[in-house]
Amino acid sequence: MEIKGEMSMLNVLHLHSTNVKEIADQLEKKRDEVPSFFLNSPVIVDCSLIVETLAELDLAALKQRLIDLMFVPVGVRGVEPEQQAAIIKAGWSVLRAGPKSSKKAEAAAVAEEASESDEVKAPAEVEETPVASANISKLIEKPVRSGQQVFVEEGDAVLLTHTSAGSEVMASGSVHVYGALRGRVLAGVHGDTNARIFCRSLDAELIAIAGRYQLLDEGDTDLRGKPAMIRLDGEKLIIEALD
Amino acid sequence: MSKVIVVTSGKGGVGKTTSSAAIATGLAEKGNKTAVIDFDVGLRNLDLIMGVERRVVYDFVNVINGEATLKQALIKDKRVDNLFILPASQTRDKDALSQEGVESVIEELKADGFDYIVCDSPAGIEKGAFMALYFADEAIVVTNPEVSSVRDSDRILGILQSRSKAAERGDTVKEHLLVTRYSPERVEGGDMLSVDDIVEILSIPLLGVIPESGSVLQASNSGQPVILDKASTAGMAYSDAIDRFLGEDIPHRFMDIEKKGFFKKLFG
Repeated sequence: MEIKGEMSMLNVLHLHSTNVKEIADQLEKKRDEVPSFFLNSPVIVDCSLIVETLAELDLAALKQRLIDLMFVPVGVRGVEPEQQAAIIKAGWSVLRAGPKSSKKAEAAAVAEEASESDEVKAPAEVEETPVASANISKLIEKPVRSGQQVFVEEGDAVLLTHTSAGSEVMASGSVHVYGALRGRVLAGVHGDTNARIFCRSLDAELIAIAGRYQLLDEGDTDLRGKPAMIRLDGEKLIIEALD
Repeated sequence: MSKVIVVTSGKGGVGKTTSSAAIATGLAEKGNKTAVIDFDVGLRNLDLIMGVERRVVYDFVNVINGEATLKQALIKDKRVDNLFILPASQTRDKDALSQEGVESVIEELKADGFDYIVCDSPAGIEKGAFMALYFADEAIVVTNPEVSSVRDSDRILGILQSRSKAAERGDTVKEHLLVTRYSPERVEGGDMLSVDDIVEILSIPLLGVIPESGSVLQASNSGQPVILDKASTAGMAYSDAIDRFLGEDIPHRFMDIEKKGFFKKLFG
């Protein structure tokens, strides 16, 4: 066997209150909006907003309510080191805190989920694994014209306008194009198979993720000229509508 | 405050020199002191279009090399006041254009009180084209309604915004799109790209659309900038473009198929 620290997509439940019933009720409502998405999905509980009043939260009850709602509780994060013992005693694992920005992002709602990539650890794993650098994205405000090349060595490329036929955009992460994508586009150039390509209008000449490439000829996709997302499924590039 | 305007396209044969001549003449007609410089060293054409080929004594390269003064080389147009032509050399190649040399000529023109310095770029993206656009404040990108021309224009726009002096300073070169040789009938028939398609691909503001017109060739052959032919559609379209360039807001013309009346159909 092998044990590795890896990045995965996970739902994070940001707590704004210590009232388990209130949390569970809101969560149930949210779940019923998209049941297929949340059914049996792993969830992390982020306590950074209620860290002072954490003692009032019945963690064991929360865990049971999450299981009842068909979630898979993974762990708790955003707590002080001296609180860890109590949390582990309540049957939870403790995770390293997520990006600081998440702290101020939420304001009004009591509970809210956000898809966020975070490091998942097997419960048995030792606390310190190398910290993955936060996603850095590079913003490109001008069109990428024919003959120009944009290479984001580390992170995502975010393009505010279009790319032209005969241009090339490369990023080690994902590529977001808030306009027409007409040139070549290569995401995950260092091998990140989770990298994706997003665009407002798909008209690319060539798409590639983590080295798997595909020419986009006439008739290869009925999403030509439409908003699209491209992801990698195994060895195959999947083009999906994005709206 | 003088402005340096480059007329460029990437692709050859789309009408850069015709447009440079028309634009410079139009600006001068409006009372602006204007110089138009031919950067196509070795393939000198602007003097022909302007009808001054027999008056060329010294040229751009002579001035750069210090063999003649700028005053000696500038040819004053006989039809329009305030218009001066600086011809290219026919016996040299583009390597004769040094950055310092070009800069000194442009600076001298500015110091002489020229309002507009129009740089007629050669085709391609090599030294001549690069020198023509390097000092530009504004660029008029000439495009024909066909895919290869549009792509080359796109390439030139990229170079303008990354390698010009303005870009090196962190400024942007103001871009204008001039679509030439436009034929609404062929757009309708699907042989040509429409103006809307071109604007969408290049996404820069449209300065003007010059219709395909026999008067352009006639004007070139007779050494008369087509903008002076006030009766031709191309001449009128260039005049409109100049007005727009100088800040007026006027609607685009000649973009739709001319509807022929009953008698016109009968008698042609």
